[in-house]
Amino acid sequence: MSGQVLVFQVLNGLGIGMIYFLLSVGLTMIFGLMRFVNFAHGALYLVAAYVAYVVSLLTGSMLWALLVGPLASALLAVAAERLLLRRTYSMPHEAQILVTFAVALIVQEVVILLFDPLAKNVPVPDFLSGIVFLGPFVYPAYRLAVVAVSAAVALLLWLALERTRFGAILRAGSESTEMVSLLGINVHRVFLGAFALGGALAGLAGALAAPLRGVEPFMGLEALGIAFVVVVVGGIGSFTGALLGGLLIGVVQSVMSSFWPEGARLMIYGAMALVLLARPAGLMGRA
Amino acid sequence: MSAFREGGHFPDGTTLGVGAALVALPFLLPSVTLASELVVFAVATLSCTFLLGLVGLLSFGQGLFFGLGAYVSGVLLREHGLGTLPAVAAAAGFSFLAAGLLAFLAVRRQGVYFVMLTLAFAQMGYFAMLALKDVTGGENGLTGVPRPPLLAGAGTLSGPEAVYAFLAGLAFAAYLLVQRIGCSPFGSVLRAIRQNEARAEALGYDTRRFKIAAFALAGLLAGLAGAMHTVFLGFVPPNAIELEMSERLIIMAIIGGAGAPAGAFVGAGFYVLMADWLSTLWPRWLMLIGVLLIAIVLFLREGVWGGAMLLLARLRRARRRG
Repeated sequence: MSGQVLVFQVLNGLGIGMIYFLLSVGLTMIFGLMRFVNFAHGALYLVAAYVAYVVSLLTGSMLWALLVGPLASALLAVAAERLLLRRTYSMPHEAQILVTFAVALIVQEVVILLFDPLAKNVPVPDFLSGIVFLGPFVYPAYRLAVVAVSAAVALLLWLALERTRFGAILRAGSESTEMVSLLGINVHRVFLGAFALGGALAGLAGALAAPLRGVEPFMGLEALGIAFVVVVVGGIGSFTGALLGGLLIGVVQSVMSSFWPEGARLMIYGAMALVLLARPAGLMGRA
Repeated sequence: MSAFREGGHFPDGTTLGVGAALVALPFLLPSVTLASELVVFAVATLSCTFLLGLVGLLSFGQGLFFGLGAYVSGVLLREHGLGTLPAVAAAAGFSFLAAGLLAFLAVRRQGVYFVMLTLAFAQMGYFAMLALKDVTGGENGLTGVPRPPLLAGAGTLSGPEAVYAFLAGLAFAAYLLVQRIGCSPFGSVLRAIRQNEARAEALGYDTRRFKIAAFALAGLLAGLAGAMHTVFLGFVPPNAIELEMSERLIIMAIIGGAGAPAGAFVGAGFYVLMADWLSTLWPRWLMLIGVLLIAIVLFLREGVWGGAMLLLARLRRARRRG
């Protein structure tokens, strides 16, 4: 493989990795906060991707899709938390896994019911359909825009977590929810907020990914698997871990897929198992 | 009377009931093939029911051992000309060893981390199958698997009835094994681990070794079911080792109820028959399965079988009082 191709694959991997980060950060946040394993997280990504598909079909504008898609996912996450998931907080984690898994199954079937099981293309917005020259390298403009948007969102998210009251509560909550509630903070509203935020971010990932990979009903399940790998490798509950894990998995997958595609997936799930066995706290987690 | 929860007797009324149901199934159902499919999935589900109900382990990896059993038996039958019985036995044995080996690693982790590990193993199995497409046929599956006589020319499996008899016999054997374990001293230790692992350890049991043994046994059951699936279909579809297979087995176990081995037969029966009847009427019937799964987890923790047994016990008590 020539150096040019390698650099191209690494750049591609960084773009995909940023999407993986957005996808995974909500999952890791919700687990860190309430030890809740959300198997429906991939469904949020799926819903936003389909909403983006419909919106860009109706309005022809990807910008609207990027707004409406995450909004739909956040609403779905809030509705699921209010109506169903909060009933399972006091149950063993097996019950939470089964209920969220069932929600994912229902969402997937609703998507097939409304559309069909076939994959669909989502057009890249016109003004981003070209290529850009990065020194000696040629790079699709849309992929560059994906990196820019998700890097901006990651920065905003980091500022929100570090500098705002809600962020402080979230961080305190992942240390000890009991202590937070003793301080007079309504943890149930914090949980709801975390679901809404995590849902919107997974939704943004889905909407951004739609023009890159198209949409199909089983992309949610695939995304869930990837998100688990990222979260575990980065360290469950860690924001920087999700960023590092997302980029790492994105690059490894992208580089590997150019010479051994089946091996790429085998390797990332192997990495997940290895991290779980050797260092369950992950790369950035506290051991 | 949830045998896994409180222990029980062997054999008891359910043993007779399962045996009678296995004899009656091909006559009750519209086709013998449907009955065969049902018993294959009943054995596969039994591996989940056993782990979850007796030991308290939720595994997303049972589809991996199902797939291993399916592929190993497929390769042995196709390439090495083994009889059906040795091929099935070898596949089950292979899955037993593989599950024991993976369990040796997996029991170091508990709770969510254990579930995640089984999930990672399951995904590795699927992508390894795709990567080894020279052996496994990749996305096309393993086609043209013959169905030779059971042992060195004796016991030909001619016709769907003979295949059903063979599969039902294996399913009954698997049921007897699991029910027997449920009321053995070994089973009591597994039950103690589910109730409180730290306490079982404090009593002097090496709980890790018990969990490894239980996981290996569950692997044997799933591998046996995978091999039965290959004998039943005559080929190995790639979805035999997909994560979706693991999920399907968990769904069946939960619907039937993990409190007793009979729950596996009820859950698999319910799912397979629903799939057969509803998939033509309404292709999106899995949506209903999702709703049912939520309802069972929230309101009927012991599943359909456990719920029925509870109702029966209540009726009996009411009659005695009245």
